This record gives sequence, C-alpha cells and structure tokens, in this order.
Amino acid sequence: MILFEFEHENPVLAEDAVARLHEIEAEARFMAGGTDLIPNMRIGIAKPAHVISLTRIPREPMTVGADGWLKIDALTTLSEIEHSALVTEAAPILAASAHTVAGNQIRQRATLGGNLCQETRCLYLNQQHDFQFVEPCYKRGGDCCYPFPRNKKEVCWSVYMSDIAPALMVWDADVTVLGSGGEVRMPVEALFTGDGLRPTTLNPGEMLRYVHMPPVKSHMGWGYHKSTVRGGLEFGIAVMALTLRLEDDLETCAEAKIAIGAVNEGPVKLVDTMSAMIGKKLTKAALAELADMASREINPLPHHGFSKPYLRDNIRVHLRRAMQIALARAQES
Amino acid sequence: MTDLKFIGQNMRRKDGPDKVSGKAVYTQDVKLPGMLIGRVLRSPHPHARILRIDTSKAKALPGVKAVITHEDTIGVRHGFVETPRYPADQDVLAKDKVAHVGEEIAAVAAVDEITAQKALELIEVEYEILPAVFDAEEAMRPGAPAVRASHPKVLENLANIAGKTETEWGDVEAGFAQADYVREDRFENQLRTHGYLEPQVTLAHWESDKLNVWTSSMGTFIKRAKLSRTLGLPYSQVRIHKTYVGGTFGGKIDLYSHEYCAARLSMLTGRPVRITASREEIFSAYRHSQTLTIELKTGVKKDGTILAQRVRIINNAGAHRGSGVVVIFLAWGFIMGPYRIPNLKYEGYAVYTNHTTRAPQRGHGAPKVRFAIESQLDMIAEHLGIDPVTIRLRNARGPWEELPNKDNTHEAGLIDCIKEVAAKSDYLNKWRQGRKQPEPSSTIRRGIGMGVTTYMSGTLIYPNGSGVIVKLNDDGSVIVLTGALDVGQGAETVITQIVAEELSIGMNDIKLIASDTDTTPQDIGAWISGMTYVTGNATRQAATNAREKILKVASEEMDVPVEYLGVENKSVYNVLDPQQRMTYAQVFSASVAKHRGDTIVGEGFWRTMRDEPTHPSLATTKGRWTENYAFSAQVAEVEVDIETGEAKLIRAYTLHDCGFPVNPGLIKGQVDGQVSMALGQAFMEEVMTKNGYTLNPSWLDYRMPLIHNMAASEDAEVITEQYRIGKPYRTKEVGEGLVSGVLAGIANAIYDATGVRMTSAPFTPEKILAGLRKLEREKAKELVSQ
Repeated sequence: MILFEFEHENPVLAEDAVARLHEIEAEARFMAGGTDLIPNMRIGIAKPAHVISLTRIPREPMTVGADGWLKIDALTTLSEIEHSALVTEAAPILAASAHTVAGNQIRQRATLGGNLCQETRCLYLNQQHDFQFVEPCYKRGGDCCYPFPRNKKEVCWSVYMSDIAPALMVWDADVTVLGSGGEVRMPVEALFTGDGLRPTTLNPGEMLRYVHMPPVKSHMGWGYHKSTVRGGLEFGIAVMALTLRLEDDLETCAEAKIAIGAVNEGPVKLVDTMSAMIGKKLTKAALAELADMASREINPLPHHGFSKPYLRDNIRVHLRRAMQIALARAQES
Repeated sequence: MTDLKFIGQNMRRKDGPDKVSGKAVYTQDVKLPGMLIGRVLRSPHPHARILRIDTSKAKALPGVKAVITHEDTIGVRHGFVETPRYPADQDVLAKDKVAHVGEEIAAVAAVDEITAQKALELIEVEYEILPAVFDAEEAMRPGAPAVRASHPKVLENLANIAGKTETEWGDVEAGFAQADYVREDRFENQLRTHGYLEPQVTLAHWESDKLNVWTSSMGTFIKRAKLSRTLGLPYSQVRIHKTYVGGTFGGKIDLYSHEYCAARLSMLTGRPVRITASREEIFSAYRHSQTLTIELKTGVKKDGTILAQRVRIINNAGAHRGSGVVVIFLAWGFIMGPYRIPNLKYEGYAVYTNHTTRAPQRGHGAPKVRFAIESQLDMIAEHLGIDPVTIRLRNARGPWEELPNKDNTHEAGLIDCIKEVAAKSDYLNKWRQGRKQPEPSSTIRRGIGMGVTTYMSGTLIYPNGSGVIVKLNDDGSVIVLTGALDVGQGAETVITQIVAEELSIGMNDIKLIASDTDTTPQDIGAWISGMTYVTGNATRQAATNAREKILKVASEEMDVPVEYLGVENKSVYNVLDPQQRMTYAQVFSASVAKHRGDTIVGEGFWRTMRDEPTHPSLATTKGRWTENYAFSAQVAEVEVDIETGEAKLIRAYTLHDCGFPVNPGLIKGQVDGQVSMALGQAFMEEVMTKNGYTLNPSWLDYRMPLIHNMAASEDAEVITEQYRIGKPYRTKEVGEGLVSGVLAGIANAIYDATGVRMTSAPFTPEKILAGLRKLEREKAKELVSQ
C-alpha cells in the first residue's frame, strides 16, 4: 500500500505530459507501466506529489525507416517487443533481452522506456523502512551508506539492473528524448550517468520518446546472457551482451562491442576487451582468453549477496559462452 | 483393502472447489462494519533498553482510536514452550527492553492504514542501546552480551543458554576405541523462512463481552489458549473462528504479538480491529526456522557398522526460546531414529542471540540433522570402499526394534524403502558414473545421492488428542464436528473419507464444521504431524459410535440381529435378505420416536499410547514419545555445471512408509511439496541478515523455487499397515519428514557429480566453484609431488 497521497493525471499527448511536468512545481514523475515506480512509491523511495501517467498517450507502431533503422516508441510494452516479428528480425538482441525481464504479467505492463529509466537497486534500498534502515541513506537523501559504510558522501554503490540497456549499447542503438525544447536524438550510452544516485542523464521534464535500432550488418553475430539464481522472475546476477562482426574470412573479428549490466551503477562497456578482440582470429582459445580479460576488466560491485570474485567468475564463463554463440551466429549470417 | 470404497482412493478435495473458484474465505476476506486498521511499532535496534515511551501525540491524532504498550497488558508472558523448566519468556509487547530488530513495542488502531502509520511515527521511544550478539557460538562464551539470563540448570560456564538437551547411552568412548575408522565433521545451515503466501493476518472483534477472532493459524485451540491467558479471559470468552489458511509450514503455531494487539485494541475500542503483517515485517521481524550447527563424530567398523556417535548441536534460537528448545530435543530423535547407534552421546544447546525468535519449520530440524548424518555416512562409506546403499542397509533399523527411549519401530519399512528406492532409481548403476565417464564436450556432470529419514507422528505432547462428533441428520446426511484445521494438507478431505467409509455414505452427504473453538471439540491442530492418525482415529471412532447406534435401532426395527446387518448408501440392510432395508432417515426417525429423542450422535476420542504419561523430558529425552515412526529413503539426481558451479535437481525418488495411504493423491502432493522445499533449501533460499537486520525481506530478493525449477518427483509407498473398518489403525507421518532425504541426497549427489563435499547449505555456485578449485589445487600438488 502507498502510504501517502498524490495527484494523478492522464494526458493524451506526449508534449502535454512534458509541459505538465514543467508546470507543476511540486515533485512530479512520469509513469509508464508503473512496474518500477509503484513499488518504489510503496516503499517510499519515490514520493511524488504528482504522477503523470503516460498510459493514454497513443503508442506509435514500430517502423523501419528508409535508412533501415527500426524506430520503437518507448511506451511499447516489453511483451510486445519480445513477441514482435519485426524486432526479432531486425534487432533480435532486443527481443531476447526483453524476454528475460521479470515475468509475463510484468512484461505486459512494463515499457521499453520505463525499463531504461528504472531506478538502481540495493538490498538496503529496496525495502520498506518502517523499523530497519530507517535513517535515509545517500540515495534516499540522507547521510549514510548501509552496505558500504565507508563510502564518501554522495557516492551510491547501488546497481543499475536494466536487462535491456546492455543489449542496446552493443547494438549501437540511439534514443530520442523529448524535452520542453523538442526532440533530441543521441546514442543510448549518453543516457547513462554511471552514478548510482542519478542513473540517467534525463532532466526532470524530459521523456524518453523513441529507441532506434540500426540494421543488422553482414557477418554480424550477437550473444546475450542474463545470469540468475532461478532462471527467471528476478533481476540479474550479471547481464552480458555482445555483438561482433567478422571479416570475410569468417574468423577474424572486424568489430566488437561488449557491455555488462547489473553489476555497476550503469551498464559498462568493456573497451579494452573490445579492442583486444578486433583483428583477432576468434578461436576457442582466443575467446577463452578474451573472456578472462573481460572478467578482469570489469570491476563489479558486490550486490544482492554476490561477492566480487563470484561475479567475475560468473561473467567469465557466461560471457565466453555468449561469445561462442555470437561467433556461430556471425558465421551463419 | 479391496472392499474399501473411500479410503485408499484419490477422493476430490473437500476444499478444492472453494479454492479454485475463489469462494474460499481467508482471514483477510472477513470484513466487519466499523473495522479499524491496526499497526505495530517495532524496534529499530537489535538490543536496547526502553527508557521511555510517549504515546500522547499518537493518541491525539484524529482518527486514532487506541494506542497500547506493555502498560496496557496484564503482564502475562507466553512462549512456544511453557513448562516449569522452560517458563514463558515472551512479552506480548516489549516491557523493559527489546532483544531483536522488529520486536513489538506498541500498537495502534486507527480508521485507516495511513492514519495508523502516521500514529506509529508519532510514538516517541527513548532507547539505551545495548551491545548485541548474533553468532550463537559467540553468544555462548562467558562475558558475551546477555540477551537473557542463562538457564539456571545448565551448570556449564556458558552465557545465553536458553536450554539444553542431553542424553547418552552405551559407552561412547569405548565405542570410538573399538572403531576401525572415526571421523569428525561440522555442518551448517542457512536461515530459511517458511514462505507462506498468505501473510500473518488477524481480525478481532470484542462484542457483548465476547472476543471473536479470525486469524491465519495452524490450529485454533492453541491460539485460544494463549490469547485467553495473555488477555486474562476465560477460554469460554474467546472464540477463534475457522478461516481458510494460505500456507503455514510451521510458521503460524503459537501466539504472535499482532494477534494479541488486534484483540486488545478491539477490547479497548469495542470495534473490530484487523492487523495484516506486511511481507517486510514477516521477513524482518517474524519467526523463521532454526539454524543448526552440527558437530558430528562417528566411529564405525570396517564393514560400515556404526559403533558410536557423538553429536553436538548448537541452535541459534534468537531473542526468545521459541521452539528453540524443542528443536534440540527433536534433533536427538532424528539422530537415533533411522540407524542403530549402540553408543551415543548427544548435547544440544539452544542459544539466545539478538536475532528474531524462531519457529518450527516443516521437518523441525530433521532436514538439517539428516543432511549432516547422511553426508558423513557417505564420506565414511567412501573411505571404507563400501557403496552408499550397503552402508545404509547395514545400519538401518528393522521392524519391531526397541528404540533407546523404549519406543518401538513396529512395522518399520525402512529396509524396504532403501532397497526399493535404490532399485527404482537404478542407484548403483548410476553412482560414480558422472565423474568416471563424463561427456567430453559437456561441462555438465550428473550425480546421484541418497538420504534416509525417520519422522514421528501423533506424538505425546499436550494437547495432542482429538475429539470428533458425528451427527446424523434426519435426512440421513451427516455433520462432522472436528477441531482439526485444514491448512492445505487435506485434513477435511481425509476426515470426510473416513466417515464416508465407516458409515457408507457419499462424500457430498457429509458436511464438516471444523476448528471453531466454540462449536467443535478440541484438537491440537495442523502441526507436530499425525492428524490422520490422531484426528483420523477419533473420527473413525465417532463414526463407529454413530454406526453402532444406527445398527441398534435398525436391528430393533427390522428384527434382525446386528451381526446380520450391513450398511450401504445411507441404508441398513439385512445381509441374508438384502431387500429388507431401512434408510438412515428412517432409522433417525425411529431412534427419535423410540429412544427418547436420541438424534444419533457419535463421539470419538484419540491420543497415542493412552497409558503413557504425557511428555518425554525435553532436557533428558527420557520418556515415551510415539508409536508411529514413519521411515523413508530418498534419492536425488542432480546436474552440476563444473564451469559455473550452477547445480540443479533433475529428479527425486521417494520411498516412504506411511503406514497406509488414506488418500494417495494428497500424499503425492505432500511428497512433491517437500521435494520443492528441499530444492529451495538446497540451492536458493536464504534469509540474509547483517547485525540482526534482514537484507532481503521480499519475494524478489528471497528466492523461492519457481514452477520451472521443479524437478521430476517419483514416489511409492511401502505399505506396512492395513485399514479395517471399525478397527484402530496406525497411519504414519508423510507431511514433513520428506524434505530431509532429498536435501541430504542433493548434497551427496553434488559430491557424486563433482567430488565437492557440501558442508553448509545452501549449495551455491560460489561454494561449488570454491570446492572444484580446491580439488584442482590438490590434484596439481599431487602431480608436483609425483
């Protein structure tokens, strides 16, 4: 139960929603599917006086432009995305990653934009604070960090757990942000701050409007893995996404992107491993070496009971397997 | 058994249609006019003295109808155990100090939840923080922060002892001296919760000097007793109503503070008060299971025969005794039950710490104890070059063995269980194959492991007795009054089957009035196992009693001796002339007419071993316990990914001796439920705490198994008893003992698959990987030294 009162509005135009958020002086929040905001309101992490629901804004159908880019309304539900033939064809990594989010009921409501704009998570944060951890932590506007008591002020080591963000990053996706000054298109990476206190670069009154996925290139393959304890209905232990493109010899790596999610304050691109990959013949041994390198390059935050060494172990093995799958896909394409 | 029509059949659940159609009324569904919402103020500290509580601002808030603290109670304490040795140690609201995070300090009743919450925030409490202790072994050390005074009868120089169970027989040192092989190991377990989906919820209404209570529980009579005593009311002034219950697993037995608070707040306001615990409250402040540390020393002969065992168990009991002193008693039973141990020394300690108070949980210690013993037995077998089946058969108890407490195993089916489960799972052909001949291209290793258990049913504790009344209606249908509570295990279905069989009457013609403390006879409720035996035999007796009356009246009316009368389909007939018959309706009116208004009411009562005094000693284990030991042997097959350490249960085989199966479908449900609980315990579930605070108080971060985590589960009974109409029977426990063998089996199977021995649950990828690395290092060392 949400233990405070708030106003609720239902604009039918995205522009109106943005304008309303600017008009309202009190704290106001957009709500798409509500699957992140409502639980956070229940436990008091978010306490908006106004909630501006985006559910009545008509959703634009997905389209493939003349440039071959797939344009997706950020209000599209994850369920639509995972079942879309268009997405599966044009940007299969997006369908695959959307499918791993939560459970079916959540995916029926949760939206693509909402998934990217989700709050960071931490065991201490994501619970009702009636009688334990009552004093607010940095993230809740207070003056302490429960899991890392020696953290400096204004540092929050909560983890950003979008399953989709790493997939978009390795696919070189763009996003369009709607603000009071109109629409701005930028690479998806520009959306993430890497700051646990404020995980996205969106300013109040800015709305994530579209996600754009570039077309598949030849000899391109992708791999995606979300590690979980139970195989579903939970946030990831670690999320691994990669794309690679092969030279015409179908062995040598021409291009590579690797991103890891759920283990830091934002999704992280493994730039060293990526550049080490380029120009390499991707033999089994080479992939194993690259995965080792990746597990050293990533610096995971211990989170949700998983230690840093275990997270590295997990990433090393599952990333290597995802690389093998990506390689096979590239060779087949 | 062939002529039985209802018993032994998969009769449809009595509660099934209500539950699947959404008609079932749970406590939260009961709504009364003028109902107030109650909430509880809880301690933010693991250990603190309460210097001052000021409720004046909360009381002044509009919409607040009452606020209570310890001052508003009569000061009567309660406890899971209330005996002279173990007097009650729990205040319904904290008096001078709090000893765990979430301990109840005050409660409010208000017109709605938001007002109640605001009122809680307005209560001022001044604390003096006290040093706290969380680890049981640290808490035992002299000089540790005193959670509570150590038990006066435990004379060792130890702190925070809530209780101790101690027993021995034979000469354990002589046993070790004679042994060819002795080994010592230590096993640990995680903190695990029950996972009942229906939260703790209570509605209380004080009306016309009577307290009416609806509460999610495992037995209404215990709730009545404890509520009456803490409120200072005669039992007759308190009525606990029946509601459907959405899961308990041991977590809703004795009194909880919110139940008291709802009642007291209703008494003060004269309005109905409901308190529903949030899931965070349940995880962070309510009672979970017990974490046992088990030190196990075993000596065996070369052939694997156990000669001596020394077991020391330390139970982190939390802030109150709870069931912590029961689990250390039961643990002894789970040690001595399945295998012959000629020399044993056992010590179990329940230790106060600043964790939340603990409760029983399905198996009440058995899964942890058997995990330790069955793991070590496999280690011993490997050392001696004996296979796991042979070493178990060598030590397994047979039928008609006298146990150290003078109990008897009766028709124990353990040996058959072990043999049959080994055959059914093709154990010896699969054993060691996973490591010997791994698929070269695969990182998956398969393993197989076994575990056996004994669990008791219908035990001798007060008030483990049951009364049942069977009333005939004048149309020949039947009303049954029973105190038994259906918590999902199928109590109402089984009771109905028994009445249907004894009276030869259809299931739909029988209506149950259950677990209402004002209208039904007393029953212990759905815990400590044995409902089918205790309440079932009482039911059988009540139905027999009614049948005798029916037959007597029919005999007079039909002029046929009773021995020539049979019953079928709500009628009595002459077996020599089946055309001659009377319906029960006709019998009823004849009885009323000619037996001075006798409306044919049958009574039945039961408790186990009627001549034995109640209660064995929790301190010394002396005294009889039960005549119904259920035995089982289970096998688990697992797959382990040796690169990731991820393991899963693929298949479980259960062979159990349940006496005889009254309803095989319900038993299958129990088996499958326990397999899933075992795999949750083995691989995923853990309440994470730090300094007494709970880190994962939600279904998202506390991971229960999901539907796709379920493993295939096969089971079969070794039937050792018969059901005969009108005769007492001995059904055995099947509802909680079967977590154990699967948990132990999984640990042994992981070893079989990987060579990694699990000594602490849960068996996480991190632990398995650590074990695999250690093996690699040892292998490398060996190569170097060669």
